[in-house]
Amino acid sequence: MQVIDKDLGSFKVHLIKTDLFKTITMKVMFHTPIIKEDITKRNILSDILLTSSRKYATRRDLNIKSEELYAADIYTSNQRIGNYITTSFILQTLNDKYTEDGNFASSVEFLHEIIFNPDLIDNKFKDEKLELVKSNAKIALESIKENSENYSIIRLKEEYDNKSSVSYRMTGYLDDLEKINTQNLYDYYEKMIENDYVDIFVIGNINIKELLLIIKKYFKFRKVKKRKKSYELDYHLPRKKVKTIKEVTSNNQAKLAIALSISKLKDFDKKYSLLILNIILGGTADSKLFKEVREKNSLCYTISSSYSRLDNLMIISAGIDNINYDKVLDLINKILDDIKKGKFNESDISVAKEYYNTLTESIVESPARLINESFSEKILGVDSLEKRKENINKITKKDIIRVSKKLNIDTIFLLEGGD
Amino acid sequence: MKKTELKGLDISLYTEKLNNELEIYLIPYSNKKNYFISYATHFGSDITSFTDNENKTHTPPLGVAHFLEHKMFEQLSGEDPFTFFSKTGTDSNASTSYDNTQYICMGTKNFKENLRYLIKFVNTPYYTDENVEKEKGIIAEEINMYADDPDYKLGMKLRESLYKNSPRRIDIAGTVKEIYKITKENLYDCYNSFYKPNNMFIIIVGNFDKDEALSVIKEELDSKEKSNISDVENVIEPKEVNRKNLTIKEDIEVSKLGFGLKIPITNLTLKDEELDLYLNMLTNILFGSSSEFRERIREKKLISNIYTDWERLNDYRTFYIMASTKNPDKLLEEIVDELNDLSLPEKVFERLKKVWIANEVKMIDDIYATMYNCFDDIIKYNKIITNRLELIKKMNINKLNDLVKEIDFTNTSVVKMLSKNVKDKKFKIDNLSIEN
Repeated sequence: MQVIDKDLGSFKVHLIKTDLFKTITMKVMFHTPIIKEDITKRNILSDILLTSSRKYATRRDLNIKSEELYAADIYTSNQRIGNYITTSFILQTLNDKYTEDGNFASSVEFLHEIIFNPDLIDNKFKDEKLELVKSNAKIALESIKENSENYSIIRLKEEYDNKSSVSYRMTGYLDDLEKINTQNLYDYYEKMIENDYVDIFVIGNINIKELLLIIKKYFKFRKVKKRKKSYELDYHLPRKKVKTIKEVTSNNQAKLAIALSISKLKDFDKKYSLLILNIILGGTADSKLFKEVREKNSLCYTISSSYSRLDNLMIISAGIDNINYDKVLDLINKILDDIKKGKFNESDISVAKEYYNTLTESIVESPARLINESFSEKILGVDSLEKRKENINKITKKDIIRVSKKLNIDTIFLLEGGD
Repeated sequence: MKKTELKGLDISLYTEKLNNELEIYLIPYSNKKNYFISYATHFGSDITSFTDNENKTHTPPLGVAHFLEHKMFEQLSGEDPFTFFSKTGTDSNASTSYDNTQYICMGTKNFKENLRYLIKFVNTPYYTDENVEKEKGIIAEEINMYADDPDYKLGMKLRESLYKNSPRRIDIAGTVKEIYKITKENLYDCYNSFYKPNNMFIIIVGNFDKDEALSVIKEELDSKEKSNISDVENVIEPKEVNRKNLTIKEDIEVSKLGFGLKIPITNLTLKDEELDLYLNMLTNILFGSSSEFRERIREKKLISNIYTDWERLNDYRTFYIMASTKNPDKLLEEIVDELNDLSLPEKVFERLKKVWIANEVKMIDDIYATMYNCFDDIIKYNKIITNRLELIKKMNINKLNDLVKEIDFTNTSVVKMLSKNVKDKKFKIDNLSIEN
């Protein structure tokens, strides 16, 4: 694997040459510090860019074009990464070896058309296209409760800290949707192209020299920018008393979501000890939560925990029966207490380490994960794979106990089942 | 072992059949880190009644196949298979479908031992009154979880409409009421009837040594005797759909439309994998992402999302369309119009062939996708299709035009799921004091 990183001033290029894949994947990422009121606009923007372009009048025309390029997949995603919002345009296509000469270059040209040649009239997006995208977004926003697990996590984060970006709904907001028009959407588009930090990742069996020429031909940004704001969120002030919120639905199953705040940690603990603690607590089907709450006490089908280093937040979630709420909560408290008291085995730690190692070893299996890895190392400053492996193996029981004491149940959200 | 090339994809399939008729499929890769093993039986929720070798007829409670799958993880030694696999960072899981149950593990290390363990734990059932009882709460929550998903509910209602007698009318996991009736005897009856080498297969994809794999499988399974598989009750499913129209009201904000087309295939000229390719092509042209239909319903703002799929049941193929829509009646009109006035341009047909060929190459790059596709082939055709690229290249528009003449496009079911008015949700806050 050959890795080349180039800072071209107005944007950065990260190229990974490997013969592991028959495809070439290109990801163009636009980052900017997140503003709550802009999330909906950003979602609408990536939708409308995939609805038509200057050259391709309809979504169907765009789809036909990608089919003609041997099923070149192009899609977008909007993601919050700590304090930033990132809009990615992803192109995945077969290497020319499996299609025809020039197919990849034509695919990049097509990606360029989608990002840089929007379908405009009088320097604004077109009314009918915007209406189309808005009406779809409206339906999605109105049916947000259909996925009760997602919804309970969204609500939990809002109750946890509604000022922090951790609570922002990445689905967007109905109020903000109403305010979007063809003019302010275009203004926002121009701002994004002009001011956002841009990273371009490419992975596959590429010719680096040729690829750089292709990239320079199709991607031109004027401003030289330097990222100032940190990706990492500030510490959340601990609450004196646990906040509990309940909301009623007509569902059969209740969804329990718990936010655990994390007090200030050493860098090593934040990056490593807590990661391993999370795996032990609820990261696998062999975890404490899974074994105790599900297997031993038959109180749920799903239960897990997750940890976000950038957000400084750990979340436990489970699908339970209303009547077992107290029992489940007591068990979770007991499991956390036991860990704090050191009531767990060395083997729990070694299993968690193995799990982590397998996960990192599998990164090379997928172009998307290799790009993520490169992004984490180059932009978020995550340690290299080797360094991480080395540090993970250093973790001891003492480290786990120390960080477990920094965890506190802060907010509980219960989406109650109906009668 | 018999070696067959997956034509045009730079990969080979090795197959072997043991004397007891256990089928083995091995697809080794040289450039991957992970391996993916599946040990599976042709036993799923479609089998609801059977007569064993002693001529005893069993009709266990619904959901028994899925219940058995959960309980397979119970071992006499008390060791949890999840724990065994976790020691080497290996992921393990299981799933039950209409026509199969599979046990899988995925990892990068300890291949031989993990393969051996997977076979061993599936070969040694250990059911007790106590451990069967304990599982009921867990599975009830699993059933409740799916029941809360409106799309899942729409799919179930659509199956009820399409099928009159088939067990496809019922959730794979059964119902909460039924699973509470399950006993350890039910589980042993099913296990002894369907978990036999001549009803099972192993497939491995990814980073492993094929000879090593075969020798472990032989060591563990060669000595197992084959025996007659229980006689499965043949549920007769009529050609007509069970119910043409159904409207239900649910606690949702945006209505949904489910549309199903039921096609009896016994009288069709095309068979097996060729039939499935052409049926897929048909609906891809009519309803796929680059179809005129999609553009039309998008322009008319009739959908926010749409999902289409084919399902296979013995002598039937059913096609599903499920969508969230503000106007189910209008959307239905569009679907019916499309089927009444079929337009199958050769240009589109050829373009989609190109897309399919590209997708086959992309698929082989991903061991999970390859596993999924090959597993599907085994369940559907009792073999892995190794010349799919050629089959696609050979596809001819005339055959598609002949096929559509043989299909009755009016044998359909429609389910409308409408929003019922819901009063404002109750909202309460209480502060529990918990010692931190």
